[in-house]
Amino acid sequence: MSARDAEHALRTALSRGGEWAELFWERHQTLQIVFDDGRVEDAISGLDQGAGIRVTSGERTTYANGNVADADDLIALAGRAARGVEEGGELHDATSVVPDEVAGHSTVAIDPRDVPVGRKVTLLRRADAVARGLDPRIQQVTATYAESIQDVVVANSDGLFRTDRRVRLNLAIHVVARAGEVLESGFESLRGTNGFEMLTDEAVAEAARMAARRAVLNVGAEAAPAGTYTVVLSSEAGGTLIHESVGHGLEADLNLKGLSVYSGRIGEKVASDLITVIDDGTDPDKRGTAAIDDEGTPTHRTVLIEKGVLRSYLSDRKHAEKLGIARSGNARRESFRFLPICRMTNTMIAPGTSDPAEIVRSVKDGIFVKKMGGGQVDVVSGNFAFEITECYRIRDGKLAEPLRGATLVGQGPKLMSEIDMVGSDLGYSTGTCGKDGQGAPVADAQPTIRIPSVVVGGKLK
Amino acid sequence: MSERMSNEAVVERGLDALGASGVGAGEVFLKEARSGSVEIKDGAVENVIARGERGIGVRILDAQRLGFAHSSDLSEEGIVACVEQAKRMSGVTEPDADLGLATRPLDDVDLDIFQRGLEDRAVGEFAEVALAVEAAARQADPRVTHFRKTTASHAVASTIIATTTGVRATYRESYTGAMTSAVATEGGERQIGYHGEAARRFGELDPARIGRRAAERATDKLGPKPFKTQKLPIVLDPWMAMDLLRAIAPLFSADNVLKGRSLFAGKVGQGVANGKVTIVDDARRPQGLRSAPFDGEGVATTTRTLVEAGVLRGYLTSLKTARKMKVEPTGNARRGGYGSPSRIGPSNYFMAAGTDDAAALTNALDRALAITSLLNLHTIDPVSGEFSLGATGNYLERGARAFPVQGITIAGNLTHLLNAIVGVGTDLVFGPGGLGSPTLVISELSIGGA
Repeated sequence: MSARDAEHALRTALSRGGEWAELFWERHQTLQIVFDDGRVEDAISGLDQGAGIRVTSGERTTYANGNVADADDLIALAGRAARGVEEGGELHDATSVVPDEVAGHSTVAIDPRDVPVGRKVTLLRRADAVARGLDPRIQQVTATYAESIQDVVVANSDGLFRTDRRVRLNLAIHVVARAGEVLESGFESLRGTNGFEMLTDEAVAEAARMAARRAVLNVGAEAAPAGTYTVVLSSEAGGTLIHESVGHGLEADLNLKGLSVYSGRIGEKVASDLITVIDDGTDPDKRGTAAIDDEGTPTHRTVLIEKGVLRSYLSDRKHAEKLGIARSGNARRESFRFLPICRMTNTMIAPGTSDPAEIVRSVKDGIFVKKMGGGQVDVVSGNFAFEITECYRIRDGKLAEPLRGATLVGQGPKLMSEIDMVGSDLGYSTGTCGKDGQGAPVADAQPTIRIPSVVVGGKLK
Repeated sequence: MSERMSNEAVVERGLDALGASGVGAGEVFLKEARSGSVEIKDGAVENVIARGERGIGVRILDAQRLGFAHSSDLSEEGIVACVEQAKRMSGVTEPDADLGLATRPLDDVDLDIFQRGLEDRAVGEFAEVALAVEAAARQADPRVTHFRKTTASHAVASTIIATTTGVRATYRESYTGAMTSAVATEGGERQIGYHGEAARRFGELDPARIGRRAAERATDKLGPKPFKTQKLPIVLDPWMAMDLLRAIAPLFSADNVLKGRSLFAGKVGQGVANGKVTIVDDARRPQGLRSAPFDGEGVATTTRTLVEAGVLRGYLTSLKTARKMKVEPTGNARRGGYGSPSRIGPSNYFMAAGTDDAAALTNALDRALAITSLLNLHTIDPVSGEFSLGATGNYLERGARAFPVQGITIAGNLTHLLNAIVGVGTDLVFGPGGLGSPTLVISELSIGGA
């Protein structure tokens, strides 16, 4: 994809009308190896190349996308986009594109494509052996290696031409433990935007141990109770809470429509003084990190909430303009098949000043969450739920018996106003966020925090 | 422009490349799809998306080792490179004596899943559907003030499978759908309600019903009251019941059963659900949204009763898992697209209608909670069967709505849930994704609240 090809495509896209055009081109190479049931079961290699061309005309956007092999395919696609524009408007030309470079934030010392496939299989075998060796109750292990190299080009009729390479690795381990009729699973993964050097033998073995330990712990755990409790969320638990309870509600598209619980509240108090929330697409090596977003805007560190006061939203080009705010570099798309939407990258609650151990000691009767799983939010009401995959009862300031099958529900602004202790530590977790049918790789982080009263979903005896 | 090969020619080249590569056996799977969607905002079209896509997936079985590669590059060189990659991948995996490619000829069956010309309809026709959805929602209740997103979409796809073992077949399908998230406002409160439906033919969508249901979902949640932690009977309308039925599907997978990941392992012939429960997987349902003549491995699809009056009758299988279990393959190796490997899953999968009138079932309960939305369904662990979900609902007394509740949880285990289905309505409805269910009454679940 040359600058000349891009320029030609943009001119073609604007040939029948429309004010602005953009080209997103992508070449995505993937490799997935699945080690399941004691053997390498699947090895899958993939190549997906395509482009999406967008033309805006007044309030209307036309987006044509498809697999493209060469410059001719690209011009044909641009023609399809142009034909979607209603005729009769003034014609605009595309400014000549000027390539410029935006430096990345993640270090890729070893390109995973240069690593022999046998080495990748060895890592999976090791994960399987470590997990199975941990406890006789472990009855199944699935270890998956996934590498993804996404080369993108973004060009638009304002003259922008930027490229980015996103190297993403994911080594995931799923373990099943059995005790009598009870089956439980444990999960752990290593995910980031580094090169293959992130997957050391030690890191993989530790992840396998964590997954196995969690499965074994859960088969022996009591069912979590249902009701309202004081909850301490460990920094190790990851950041699903901030992602669901606040992050989605700060996406600019929802706020333009006035539909978020945070709409129109910039400058207002929306959380406890102890809470500062940051989205940072430049955080080195993290799963949500990139040099540019999928509209070519450099990624950014955005303070969303500062000491409880709402400061900003997560924006793409269109919504930044309409809301009169800066572009935050949060326009993301799953692939060329989709229009970009406002998304989080790496989102965190900034560390506070409390000693994490002191936070646990402060609770007489409550629940300690050591690991969170997935979550979901209803952004309009602010109600969210997230899964807990490892937790313990707290009795008299000490961790007691493990509990399983718990979930936490609450309302974002209410919960954020009630958090009364924030630790000085910080822990990360990774995930794939879903919105409007598109997946996006993200990371989340938080310190150890205390919530005085929150609904815990579990079972009644 | 590079000459565009026809789909048949691409598959032919793939088979040629397989023949030349010296591998034992191979399969070429091609999918071409054209799809589009229209999203509206404030009564006008906001986004028009047109998507075209075509690619192949090549599987190689060499010395009982399976390799898979997929590519969107369908030039001569691209096809050869894809076959070479698949061969390379077959060198990475380990042999399994039960692996095999399809060999049986496929029957010719018309499932009425393709409407010619759907992809050529004007953008305006789809925009009208989306506008009609919003108009119906506003008309249903004046408290409906906004929409988070309203879209109408369509897709037309061709699928071809060809193996070096003699199977060659193709089918075409069409799809159209519309969905909205309506927002209701009252005082300072806002609540959202989602509803979407899909059909194989354009004329079969009912935009007014979609709008009315979304409006009802949103307005139903207005004015919630605190709710105590307690146990209560639960009423699931067909749409809510489908969500839980979907979560149960992985328990029927022969792959999960064989690998010790299903609570249904070793339970064929035994009771796994209340006697009122019958669950069917029917890939040959006329016009079904998941109907197809063959599966992702080129095996003829079937109609199967999975649970009959509470008793487990069998599992969903692929070629490999059927051989391991020494049963006939059910044609449930499903494939999302040319780039996805086959994974066992249901087709049109539904709870059969019961004998009780849905309203009568609800009226018979002194106190109950009717669920109106569930949060975090994707976190249900099919291995343990445990679920603990965020929920909203209507608290009912003798079937009458007393008040709505939110910020609560419901929790249980899928296997217990199946046994606790004490009422099955006559009102079977099919939804998107081929799921179907009537109204269900669950005898009791734990509710977490204040």
